[in-house]
Amino acid sequence: MKKIATLLLSAGLVAMSAQAVPSPQEDLKHFRDYFQRKFPGLKLDELRNGINALDENHRMQWEAMEEFPPYEEFVDKGKALWEKPFKNGKSFADCFGKDPSKVRVKYPQWDAKKKRVVTLELAINECRKANGEKPFKWKKGPIAWVSAYLGYMARGQKIHVVIPNDPDALKAYEHGKHFFYAKRGQLNLSCADCHVKYAGRRIRGNLLSPALGHVTHFPVFRGKWANKSKDGDGLGTLHRRYGGCNKQQRARPFKAQSKVYRDLEFFHQYMSNGMTINAPSYRE
Amino acid sequence: MKKRTILTIGLAALLTAGFGSAQAGHSSKLKAAYEKELAHAKALVEKAASVEGEWRDIRWKKSKKKFLPSAIAAAKAGDYKKAMKLLKIVEFQAEMGYKQAMAQKNAGPQNYGF
Repeated sequence: MKKIATLLLSAGLVAMSAQAVPSPQEDLKHFRDYFQRKFPGLKLDELRNGINALDENHRMQWEAMEEFPPYEEFVDKGKALWEKPFKNGKSFADCFGKDPSKVRVKYPQWDAKKKRVVTLELAINECRKANGEKPFKWKKGPIAWVSAYLGYMARGQKIHVVIPNDPDALKAYEHGKHFFYAKRGQLNLSCADCHVKYAGRRIRGNLLSPALGHVTHFPVFRGKWANKSKDGDGLGTLHRRYGGCNKQQRARPFKAQSKVYRDLEFFHQYMSNGMTINAPSYRE
Repeated sequence: MKKRTILTIGLAALLTAGFGSAQAGHSSKLKAAYEKELAHAKALVEKAASVEGEWRDIRWKKSKKKFLPSAIAAAKAGDYKKAMKLLKIVEFQAEMGYKQAMAQKNAGPQNYGF
């Protein structure tokens, strides 16, 4: 009798713990509902504009910048790279298909064979390697130009990340989700502290952007990065930004395109599913 | 007079040699203590890193502080006291990073009210 009761209890506990992990779809719903409650007057898709959707002054400055976009010449460089044949006569189109407007929405994607998340930047460099070309550096420069060009061509389309019902894919998703919510570094902050809990609140002279819609405008052109670069190139990839955030938390940043950041991107992009791509975009 | 001078010189030489060897003994003790502490600190850092909990200023190449490489550099320059002081910071940060990661093992959206 006691054994049966123990068995039933443990079976019940197992069932409860299985239920306790929400599916990605449930996570997405809760994430959106949270931001809708937090910013009730805003259309959800408007959050793709980050703090420019929340503050009139920032919006005016941003719109002024977007009239003569500082990223335009780098998007053009990305287009040139996209079209430039490799030494073997092939080009990016042989890896991604001829229509550059259909590439961005496919990434990040789950590679069931290699059991890993493939981001757009990873795919770009793997295409180069497969064709005997030297891979680009991960965070800025040519990789950001090509990625920005593909983002620019995909403007107006919706983010559409698929989390397949595959235990390994779900594990990667959960890993990224955990990374997003776990506090880290000497300042004991999580991604969610700034971009969920305190989104829209002040951090010194600036506002904290909402996590919902973050990924729509990456690669991003940041004024800060442009000031640092010799030729005014302020474009940077999502993983460059992840590294910057971790640095600000005083946690050791991970390498761009490391498993940790690819899994984080898987979760982060999925949370913006259904939002309109407007990459690249200007940010401070 | 001569005898006294010789005695003084002899005594001074004896004292210097004694002090020197005491100093060398002290220095080798410090070095051994440093090496033990370094191995301990490195193990703690790896433990924190294994749970994605390493903090920025321990050894990240772009950190302005880089406590671990700075400790090693100080020891190389013979300043074991400084090296040990820096290693204590490394150990503290590594332990905190590990504890933090453990405390955050079940972190998730439930911590944020949804």
